[in-house]
Amino acid sequence: MTGRFGTAVLGTGLVAAVASTLLWLRVALLGVPARPARVATGATLAAAGAAVVALEVALIGHDFGVRYVAENGARDVPLYFTVTSLWAALDGSLLLWLVILAGCALLLALRRDERAGLLRPWAMAVIGAVTVFFFALTFFAANPFTTVDPAPADGPGPNPLLRDHAAMGLHPPVLYAGYIGLVVPFGYALAALLAGRADRVSVAVLRRWTLVAWSLLTAGIVLGAWWSYAVLGWGGYWAWDPVENASLLPWLTATALLHTLLARRVAPGATGLSAWSVALAGSTFLLVLLGTFLTRSGAVASVHAFTASPLGPMLLGFVLLAAAAVLGLAVWRSGAFRSAAPGGPLLARDSALLGNAVLMVVLTAVVLTGTLFPLLAQAVRGSRAAVGPGYFNRAALPVALVVLLLMALAPFLRPDRAPDARALRLPAAAGLGTAAVVGLLSRPGLTALAAFALAASVLAGLIQSTVAKAAAAKPRAAAAKAAVAEAAAGKAAVATAAVTTAAVATAAAGNAGVANDAVATAGAEATGAWRRGARRLLASAGLLAHAGFAILAVGAAASSVYTVASERQVTVGQEVHAGGVTVRLLGVERGARGGGMVARLRLAVAGGGTMEPSLRYYPARDMTVSVPAIRSGPARDVYATVLGAAEDGTGATVRLAVNPLVGLVWLGGATAAAGGLLAAAGRVVARRRGVRPARVDRRPAAVGSA
Amino acid sequence: MTGRRVASTWAKAASRRCPAVEGGEGDRRRRPVRRRLLWSVAAVLVLAGLGAMLAAGVRSTAGQDPTAPEAAAGPATVVRDDPAPPLAGRTLAGDGFDAATLRGRVVLVNVWASWCGPCRQELPALALAERRWGGQGLSVVGIDMRDNPESARGLLAEVGARGLPTIVDPQGTLAVAWGARGVPETFVVDRSGRVRLWVRGAVDAAWLQRWIPPLLADRSAP
Amino acid sequence: MRLRRLAALAVLALLLLAAGAAAWRSVRPQPETPATVAASLLCPSCQGETVAQSQSPMAAAMRDTIAEQLAAGRTGAQVRQWFVERYGPAVLAEPPPGGLGVVLWVVPGCVAAAALAFAIRARRRRAAPAARVTARTHPGEPRDGGRPAAAHGAGRVTARAHPGELREERFTARARPGGGGRRASRAWDAAAVGVVGLVAAVALASPSHRPQETPARPVADRAATLVTLARSLEDKGRYAEAAQIYRDALRERPDDRTTLRLAFTLLRSQRPAEAEKAVRRVLGNAPDDPNAVLLLGLAQRGQGSPAATATLRRFLTLAPDAPAAAEVRRMLRAD
Repeated sequence: MTGRFGTAVLGTGLVAAVASTLLWLRVALLGVPARPARVATGATLAAAGAAVVALEVALIGHDFGVRYVAENGARDVPLYFTVTSLWAALDGSLLLWLVILAGCALLLALRRDERAGLLRPWAMAVIGAVTVFFFALTFFAANPFTTVDPAPADGPGPNPLLRDHAAMGLHPPVLYAGYIGLVVPFGYALAALLAGRADRVSVAVLRRWTLVAWSLLTAGIVLGAWWSYAVLGWGGYWAWDPVENASLLPWLTATALLHTLLARRVAPGATGLSAWSVALAGSTFLLVLLGTFLTRSGAVASVHAFTASPLGPMLLGFVLLAAAAVLGLAVWRSGAFRSAAPGGPLLARDSALLGNAVLMVVLTAVVLTGTLFPLLAQAVRGSRAAVGPGYFNRAALPVALVVLLLMALAPFLRPDRAPDARALRLPAAAGLGTAAVVGLLSRPGLTALAAFALAASVLAGLIQSTVAKAAAAKPRAAAAKAAVAEAAAGKAAVATAAVTTAAVATAAAGNAGVANDAVATAGAEATGAWRRGARRLLASAGLLAHAGFAILAVGAAASSVYTVASERQVTVGQEVHAGGVTVRLLGVERGARGGGMVARLRLAVAGGGTMEPSLRYYPARDMTVSVPAIRSGPARDVYATVLGAAEDGTGATVRLAVNPLVGLVWLGGATAAAGGLLAAAGRVVARRRGVRPARVDRRPAAVGSA
Repeated sequence: MTGRRVASTWAKAASRRCPAVEGGEGDRRRRPVRRRLLWSVAAVLVLAGLGAMLAAGVRSTAGQDPTAPEAAAGPATVVRDDPAPPLAGRTLAGDGFDAATLRGRVVLVNVWASWCGPCRQELPALALAERRWGGQGLSVVGIDMRDNPESARGLLAEVGARGLPTIVDPQGTLAVAWGARGVPETFVVDRSGRVRLWVRGAVDAAWLQRWIPPLLADRSAP
Repeated sequence: MRLRRLAALAVLALLLLAAGAAAWRSVRPQPETPATVAASLLCPSCQGETVAQSQSPMAAAMRDTIAEQLAAGRTGAQVRQWFVERYGPAVLAEPPPGGLGVVLWVVPGCVAAAALAFAIRARRRRAAPAARVTARTHPGEPRDGGRPAAAHGAGRVTARAHPGELREERFTARARPGGGGRRASRAWDAAAVGVVGLVAAVALASPSHRPQETPARPVADRAATLVTLARSLEDKGRYAEAAQIYRDALRERPDDRTTLRLAFTLLRSQRPAEAEKAVRRVLGNAPDDPNAVLLLGLAQRGQGSPAATATLRRFLTLAPDAPAAAEVRRMLRAD
């Protein structure tokens, strides 16, 4: 019954999506009112939502007559993971994809005409076409509602990796929201190409959607890294795996897109989009589609990939079709969007923003080439070749360091002049000092050393400029006050450098206490500075994202360089040591759990506490999962995994790792995402107060002529 | 209304997918035409190449069915001819052992462990093989990889293969030195000390019957 | 003031010197650690995981091998070569320099050059006047019979646009009243309704709508899951647990084959009496099932029953070519 309903609803959605595409095209071509088109868009969302609800009902009600439930449901799975198993496999995840896509479309459709830009009808038509494709894909090739007859009594349950961690409820929806939100910039970019022009309001809409989608994508990627760290049990969080790369690729181009949009905003007299923005917005969603293809076709070998499915050819066809459409339009309109040339010296703001875009494009090229290389080798030589982390680290990290360098300059960039060299003194000193202290205390290697130094100068520069701005913003700010502010800024910047240094140094030495104090001091210092500059901060919340990435860089560099791990076969009572941490094996419990077998270790940590990593075997899927036990601290994580357990429970192979500062990766990622969302919110607040964001005219710019 | 006239000129031109050539601007517009053509060709080429590559990737994965049971295909046998790595160490029984003393015999090296399921079926067949062909020059040697010696001894006793000389390889380094990729895996060394066969997965009586006698008959080397 | 500036400069210079020394220390080649070497090798039995990541026993053995060899004084390159000799070049996590691997550096290099060229060209060509090409829709003439003439319809150019004078309605203006526009609009609507109808028809006719035509994919039910679990326990030699789970599966769904597996497992866990009981249940349904007869014979033999020989001989007459026949004959001869 549920299955019938679901199929019917999906069919309705397909028809509604086709109708809404055609209706929006009608609005675009004939200039008729948009009301019917809006209704059709709403109907599409209603259909997608009903399909999701139907599948959830089937899952929760254990309706094993529905194929998706028979394949991914099980009676012994807790309710939370039953709900999340909607996106634990390919077909269900497409429903989530659809509902988010239709939701984005409706959000955009409901905007008032004067707030949506003249390009909206075209953009909606483009989004409608994408929706039609995904509805057709779900309905014809991956319908989760087909019936199973006779219905089994129970199912194997979702993939074991996807039923253990709370992040499962958050990571996929957030990631998908970020991924799919990028369809709106794509729609507007294609609309601009179709129309051959753009207006200010459209560009403002494009910018806001990019900002929100980018923030969600950032959060989704970081959540995914955290999930990988906490579930996969190999001790890291980023392995340059094809599936991870698939999410990183659109993120890189979206970052570049954001920056090119900023560049256009500050350029005086500019009206619309630059060619860079159009190209980046187009390629970002193309990369989303490519990533969807890569992860859902089984074309690349990955631990995370969905299994091979018949969707591959269809998705590939759509990717190529979309790419051909974008390229065709771009060539046809190649003259329409001349990038307004950033004038002024090389280190003026617009040039730096353009430089950032170039660097991001290069990073994208590196990641894309590395991800697709195995397929190229397969096509040319007939045998698989692998591209491991080594290549990505060697090719991408130097470019990423240059990006960090630009970030360090960011707060001091000015529209028409090079940055004031005197303002750069403190960040430079902070960076050099960090490099000196860290480099003389330990030998992290040049890349990590540069990352520490640049991150310190980014943070120092941000604090200096924030404090200075906050002071300048006070009405009674006199010259004396400014001097005080200068001094305060200096102190804050020095403190940041010291904190970074101390944190890294103590991580290197494996001393948690000092680092904790240092981090706390930094927190207090930063809070003080922020409160003073709160208003300014909201206006330039984008720079908060820079702080996030500096923090992330410190965490990533430290955890990759200073991690200590050891692996030992121990019997009960024996100890494993790593990085000053000692654990003793207390015992191995074996038992059955949820249709699988579990070997759970009890490890006593010297200094108090126990850790219980486990090894689970799921015969229904012939899969072994090693679930790590993690003790997180601000300065370091203790990370224990089981590699094997003796049959008789007398011993086990244990891997013990001490990962310093890995928490900074999550903190930095969260800060960056929050920065993006704050920046978007800042605009909304500004508008509510009647303060229009700078240079976005109330009246849309002219189009055509009388 | 000149704008309107120009507009419709452009529209017609655009519908022919060809930019307009207007008045004095003609010379300045012709160059973009050629460049545009160049770009289109480049774009089509890049896209076609990328598409072909991705399609090849999809096809290659479609060919191999990940759900196909490995057992159905039997053990994957690879014929090769490489010098055998050294094989020496302490056995489960506690004696020293060096395969160099077996020169001139055909040596079947089997990597196993008590935690490996298929090994349980394989070991009796191997013990039988040694009893059957031992007189004609076959020796069977086990490598017990990353295992608990008690469990391993227990398994050998259980399957009735107690006599099988097995080298203890607590870290698995010996198995890696032989180039094993998983457990169980079997290497067969001929009388001249060269690895001739490499088998992934469990061997059975039929496999042994097919591959071992020819190697025993080959007395070209001492 | 001058003194302060000098002091600041001196501090900067000092820091530069110290940072330089630190960098110099870091530049010196560092010995490769087992972790870095492990990250450069692929686990041969995994899906795209490196030896450093994988948790398979073979990967653990490879990590130990790497550590051992590095401790013995070999370089990372030598260790990698050692692995290539044994596992072939596919064991390397990175394609070797030269050959096709060049692509990895050439493609990003080309992209970097192209992006830089674009950026520099844009810098050179100082702000051109705002895009001359502007467009708007003209409701009049959708050229090709109402199909979305998107590109064409939007592709108008107004040569000398005067932004100030123009109004937004132009872009999404109402259809101008007039014969041509209305006719075109009607044609467009008709075509659109046709497309929607077509899609609806296809959706209705699609096979996924009719469940009986889609063959139900075999799915694991609880009994099947239990049997799989028991089989895997059996493979691991944990017969007692396997037998228990077989019994659970049988309660879920009685089945002769599962009963026979249970009997076999019981036999292997030295419980021939229980095994015989299980086999007799099957023999009640299928008295001539060779496997059941074989198991009965083995169970009787395990209990030392004299009937064993007769039962096993009966098995040989029932299935003289069964894989187990040779072993049974040998057994009978030995007795």
